[in-house]
Amino acid sequence: MNQYLYDGTPEGLVSAIASILDSGENPEEAHLAVRQDMLFEEGLFLRTDSAFAEALFERLRQRAPDAVQTLWYFMMAEADGLETSLLRYIALAFEHGDRVNGYLTHTSVKAIVGTARKAGRELHRMKGLMRFEQLRDGAWLARMEPDCNVMHPLARHFSRRLRAQEWFIFDARRRSAAHWDGHDLSFGTLEQFSRPELSLEERAVQQLWQTFFKTIAIPERKNPRLQQSNMPAKYWKYLTEKQGE
Amino acid sequence: MELQEKITILSGAARYDASCASSGSNREGSAGGTGNTSQGGICHSWADDGRCISLLKILLSNDCRYDCAYCVNRSSSPVPRASFTAREVVDLTMEFYRRNYIEGLFLSSAVNVSPDHTMEAMVRVAEILRNEERFGGYIHLKIIPGSSPELVRRAGLAADRISVNIELPSSESLQRLAPQKKKEAILAPMKLIGAEAGASLVERRKSRKAPRFAPAGQSTQMIIGASPETDLQILRLSQGLYSRMNLKRVYYSAFVPVNSDNRLPVLSAPPLLREHRLYQADWLLRFYGFSAEEILSDDAPNLDESFDPKTAWALRHPEFFPVEVNRASYATLLRVPGIGVTSARRIIAARRFAPVTPEGMKKIGVVMKRAKYFITCSGRPFERVDHQPARLRQRLLLGDGSEAKLPRQLVLPGMG
Repeated sequence: MNQYLYDGTPEGLVSAIASILDSGENPEEAHLAVRQDMLFEEGLFLRTDSAFAEALFERLRQRAPDAVQTLWYFMMAEADGLETSLLRYIALAFEHGDRVNGYLTHTSVKAIVGTARKAGRELHRMKGLMRFEQLRDGAWLARMEPDCNVMHPLARHFSRRLRAQEWFIFDARRRSAAHWDGHDLSFGTLEQFSRPELSLEERAVQQLWQTFFKTIAIPERKNPRLQQSNMPAKYWKYLTEKQGE
Repeated sequence: MELQEKITILSGAARYDASCASSGSNREGSAGGTGNTSQGGICHSWADDGRCISLLKILLSNDCRYDCAYCVNRSSSPVPRASFTAREVVDLTMEFYRRNYIEGLFLSSAVNVSPDHTMEAMVRVAEILRNEERFGGYIHLKIIPGSSPELVRRAGLAADRISVNIELPSSESLQRLAPQKKKEAILAPMKLIGAEAGASLVERRKSRKAPRFAPAGQSTQMIIGASPETDLQILRLSQGLYSRMNLKRVYYSAFVPVNSDNRLPVLSAPPLLREHRLYQADWLLRFYGFSAEEILSDDAPNLDESFDPKTAWALRHPEFFPVEVNRASYATLLRVPGIGVTSARRIIAARRFAPVTPEGMKKIGVVMKRAKYFITCSGRPFERVDHQPARLRQRLLLGDGSEAKLPRQLVLPGMG
């Protein structure tokens, strides 16, 4: 088993995978991990080369567009320790093309596709669970702390849906933000965040929604366990209907 | 009356309608407008009863002239009455949508002056949303039985989905419990909707500009347990609605005793398990290639409480098993308890690479707890299993001691 190391950046990861595949190494025999800079660390360090990473992406896009899609979701999950699985997955994608995602009985494919699916699920979930609040100046703000870094696709979803209003989305976990001004979408980070004041009618509308939320449940069918399995408590922090619980 | 109070009354009155789906429509938002729809639908919250909230589900009015025995809004019931203005519903929908509380509006209503009077008021809400607010989100309109074809057409042009409630599983029960509603008045708009939707599809093939008619199709719902029909009768009815009326969904709503009436059965609790089993059987009809007659028979016309309908079928058909997962067709795999639509597709994709082993079956996501009694992997049974039906029933029911028995969980299907 040959040990390889990279610098821990997403680009370094793809670049390292490109080097290993180009070297003719058998990916099922190779092992890839982040360099820890420890004294007796073993393995060959692969220098990050963005042109290498770019070229690999381009070849994969030609050969297996679905795998590129999977890779994209996989990166959103920000998962640790799956570098070797990713190496083997990409090797299999070059071998089998888009059919690779069906090879779920292969441990590496299962790990990568499963992780990508987790990000996809959370993205879908956040499309429903995000809550915008109207600010004093008429713009809208939604706050969230998702496990996966779903900001980009999520903001694109809302740029098609709520296109007539100016809004911000803030990811409090990553301190990243998206801004839609009615025409264009931009992304950035926010070091300082203080919650702006809400518009005068915001509380009244929130109360109407809370009332609806309470009365739409059938009392004879009360089922808090089912509610929580569908809508885990980690999302309640920013849910208008779950404030004060 | 305060808006808060109206919402309490009119969402409380609407909650017995089971439909919450926001799927089946794919509309891009217009420039300057608000809202689009998503093909797969999106759930925005889950209520205290565990059911998904996707739409602002509300009645325009609960002031009803009908006196249907099972209904919370019947005219003789002492509940407080309220009505929204069209503007109130439009504003609520827009305010909620802008905050991403909902996918859109589900509007139903009690009938007061006449079916056409109510239907016209409901259609107007949808038309204001579409034309004045340029709302591109999801709209589901309930069709009032007895409304004129012209209003049904207008409803279909403004809404994504429209539905006529069949209410009860037979015309005898309808006559007994809802004597003011007529079977013909329910079936006529259903047929009309089917015909209009079909015609719209043909037109749209000729021109992309032709108007869409209810692009998410029509659904219906019936109350389970308020009348004496068997599950076989209910499934035959659903089967007919799917095949002849081209419905997208039939919803089953466990009867919640909200009135006392000597025509109604006395229940200690709503028949939730029965409702759950009917949904499972409904899935077998729509996605698994089963017929109502395979699931139930005149000798055993009701669904088993202990087993899901597919496991019950498998226990009655030992000659069909074991199924060899590395050779079986998709249709055959679908008949195995523990293998669903997703896992059947995954098995077929995975075995192109290498034969699927028991370990691989778990990776794919097959529920081996059930499936292991009914399959072989490359000729080998998963484990030494006694295939005698009586013994098998017992093991499926009690487990084999290796895993704790899962408590019964009742899950209302959300999307589809």
